[in-house]
Amino acid sequence: MTHEVIKHLLDDYVTGDLTEEARPPVEEHVIACALCAAEVESLRRILARAAELPKSIDPPADAWSNIRSAISRDEAAVRASSSVSRPSIWQRRYVLAAAAAVLVAVLSSAGTALYMSGHYSGARSNQAIANSSSAEGTPATLAAFTIEENNYLRTASMLQDLLDQQEASLAPATVAQLKASLRTIDEAILEARSALARDPANKLLLEMLSASYRQKVDLLRRTTELTRGT
Amino acid sequence: MKTSAVVSDTIGNYPSTSAEDKAAALERVRHAQTGDVDAFEVLYREHSPRIYALCLRLEGGDTSDATELLQDVFTKAWRRLDTFRGDCAFGSWLHRLTVNTMLENARSDQRRTARVLPMEDTSRLAGAARSSGVESRMDMEGAIASLPKGARLAFVLHDVEGYQHQEIAEQLSVSVGTVKAQLHRARRLLRERLES
Repeated sequence: MTHEVIKHLLDDYVTGDLTEEARPPVEEHVIACALCAAEVESLRRILARAAELPKSIDPPADAWSNIRSAISRDEAAVRASSSVSRPSIWQRRYVLAAAAAVLVAVLSSAGTALYMSGHYSGARSNQAIANSSSAEGTPATLAAFTIEENNYLRTASMLQDLLDQQEASLAPATVAQLKASLRTIDEAILEARSALARDPANKLLLEMLSASYRQKVDLLRRTTELTRGT
Repeated sequence: MKTSAVVSDTIGNYPSTSAEDKAAALERVRHAQTGDVDAFEVLYREHSPRIYALCLRLEGGDTSDATELLQDVFTKAWRRLDTFRGDCAFGSWLHRLTVNTMLENARSDQRRTARVLPMEDTSRLAGAARSSGVESRMDMEGAIASLPKGARLAFVLHDVEGYQHQEIAEQLSVSVGTVKAQLHRARRLLRERLES
């Protein structure tokens, strides 16, 4: 091997990375060549100095507190994320909304009875309105649900108009209870909607939002039946 | 510095430990994996000086960047603790995470890769060198910090930390030949700067 070839092998020679076959000719050349011998010595000094460098250096004292804070922020973010996946806050509203719907349904039992038996002439038209929304099942995706949601909104709006016209026929306490129940359901709808905006793939949220709309439509429908029955 | 004697569960020249120590270390990691932050702090206290030294050298002696990298590494380590299976030493796992994090940061911030660090940024390294009583280490740290990034990474990982060519090539996603070329360049530059 020539000097030109060997000088490119000196790094591997010094670090012991040369093969068994390559090492002897390089060793012989280094003994004979002052230039390569000097380079080998220089490389060894550099490697020795590298080996002497401290392997441990104390980090700044406040580094751990910053890491601890980052961990706390992470945990808070995970908790917030979990609350979106498991919507405990508005889930409670959903339960309240359901309770409100049941309460008004009980108040309107007479109207319901009329509705169910078909004695009241307006029942059929209201049923048609209610049926225009889908009370059966929940669309699998938010996109599909958005179409369904428009039906709910239209139906609720029509029922609300009917109810506004007939409100005078209801007892003030019933009207107050009805409005409070509708507010609770509307809040549940709003919260579910904003939770879905953050987590559009969450099927549980979708089902609960759909159920809230169904409750609202059902509540409005039963109350309009009650007004017609009184 | 040949690293052929590296034990199977370590990378670089991270100190190997007895079976008893390994079991105790693994136990500490298991505690941390259950969400015990105090146990994780024990791991931090144990490993952070070594990781910080690596961070300082990878970041060319810039204490601010090195501290930021250290914090990134341990925050990531906490998040990814469940991925540590005990197949290698926890310290080796942290080392790998440190290099990967530095590379990720560099990729997301091109300014870092282009920056040539000034010698005065090596104050922390210089302090460590002085405290060890060997003045020449200060010059050595400064010279390493002044190396071009690729050469510095290869030199720090191979000649200071004891990684093998293949390990460095895999971590940096380059060929072994490129690693050797960068090492040759680093050593040549260091010799010029320290011995001329």
